[in-house]
Amino acid sequence: MNDNFHVFSDGRIERTDDTIRLVREDGEKQYLPIERAEAIYLHGQVDYNTRLVSFLNEQGIAMHVFGWNDYYAGSIMPKRGQTSGQTVVAQVRAYDDPDHRLTIAKRFVDGSIHNMRANVSYYHNRDHDFTTALDTLDDRQAAIDDATDVNELMGVEAGARRAYYATFDDILPDDFAFRGRTYNPPDNETNSLISYANSLVYANTVSAIRATALDPTVSYLHEPGERRYSLSLDIADIFKPILADRVIFRLLNRRQLSTDDFESDLNGCLLTDDGRETFTRALEETLDQTVHHPTLDRNVSYQYLLRLEAYKLKKHLLTGEEYVPLRRWW
Amino acid sequence: MIDDTAGDGDDTAPSDDPVDRLLASARDESIEDDVHVTGVMMQYYEVCTRELWFDSRDIEIDRDNAAVARGTRVDDEAYSEKRRHVSIDGTIAIDVLDDGRVMEVKPSSALVDPAKLQLLYYLWYLKHVTGVDRDGVLAHPRERRREDVELTPENEEWVEDAIRGVVDVIERDSPPAPTEKPFCESCAYYDFCWSC
Ligand code: SF4
Repeated sequence: MNDNFHVFSDGRIERTDDTIRLVREDGEKQYLPIERAEAIYLHGQVDYNTRLVSFLNEQGIAMHVFGWNDYYAGSIMPKRGQTSGQTVVAQVRAYDDPDHRLTIAKRFVDGSIHNMRANVSYYHNRDHDFTTALDTLDDRQAAIDDATDVNELMGVEAGARRAYYATFDDILPDDFAFRGRTYNPPDNETNSLISYANSLVYANTVSAIRATALDPTVSYLHEPGERRYSLSLDIADIFKPILADRVIFRLLNRRQLSTDDFESDLNGCLLTDDGRETFTRALEETLDQTVHHPTLDRNVSYQYLLRLEAYKLKKHLLTGEEYVPLRRWW
Repeated sequence: MIDDTAGDGDDTAPSDDPVDRLLASARDESIEDDVHVTGVMMQYYEVCTRELWFDSRDIEIDRDNAAVARGTRVDDEAYSEKRRHVSIDGTIAIDVLDDGRVMEVKPSSALVDPAKLQLLYYLWYLKHVTGVDRDGVLAHPRERRREDVELTPENEEWVEDAIRGVVDVIERDSPPAPTEKPFCESCAYYDFCWSC
């Protein structure tokens, strides 16, 4: 139940009997083995109808739609297999209680800064001098405790992220100059890659949350409503350094993506179809990669770590047991 | 101590003892008790009190969790002999054999005590609530073996202590901490408990 299917070509996706098939523009047909599917990702111009949507709903499969230049366009979520009034009540109660909300939000930021730091420290221990960045990250991590409200906490996180992004120009090859984060539209290759990578992590987190009875719209660090599934923004932040950024570093440094995989136009700089496919495949491989989990005492995939993070939050909300964010331990 | 205080319909002051409360509400419909101790709860109590707490809150196991929940009726089909399913007060559901004994089927010998406690609870309930004395039989189909179970004074004490224990667990605000048990690995809450 955890395969993602990415459709890059243009065409039509439809239900036939008990399966789903993709009919490409050139008429070629391809069947998607959906028994193990968690989600379908549409990257091209793909038509579908209500018959398909009801089928996905029955099968409990999500469909994430990626538009042309604003990458993540939205999701078609199946009615949740799990609904639990009490989970949602607990979620909302925690949001409504400023202290409780702040406590949870702090944990998200703690996990996120810890995982940024793990990346910086990796390169620091190899052939870079990132003393300053590491100091700033430590300093920001220490400042989490002092934040008295969520806005202030956001500021702490933003400071950490700036220091973190400042290391990218040193980590990445020269032709991938980054010079800080830009959005809407991304103005260079690296920014465009980060946007795309983050939206894939976000969509995977949406799927992971969906597998629990958590309501993806009730969030703690981000304001509910900031995006439709704002809880996904909260949790995805913890994972971006581990999933998105690691894959970016690897692909660019090994020259598996070059500047030819991007194109610039009036809308800024975007991945080409090939580039997008290359990146997506690499991210999927990473999601399938496993690490040994110390308390579960078995190997779990990175994708399952997303699911566990949702479980941990749910457990905290329902039992009052402490929520400890994923801090890269390997 | 449980025999005569409750259930006469008069105004005996409500006792705080969960056993008295249970009997009072079972004998007299007008007395409400929030806690309905079921046979399955007794079983959970013996297996894992944390699982009991989760179950009492309807904390559901998430979708497509591969772990198989421990079934209580797994081997039902193994017995073709005549028996009747009897439900009492909507609280306990028992299987009564033709000879009048109450039967409980257990899928595995690893969980004998939980099954025995559940069966003893039924016998205890029959005796104290409906005034019927019955013996029980615990059947292990896979081993083609049966065990007679009687409500001895020690067993009565076991049941009553367990009732108090069950009520204590489910009235807590947070669950008992997880402790590693041999059946954790096959428990549907495993990832929930141990992902930390
Ligand atoms: S995993 Fe172990 S501790 Fe947790 S509920 Fe199951 S049996 Fe109890």
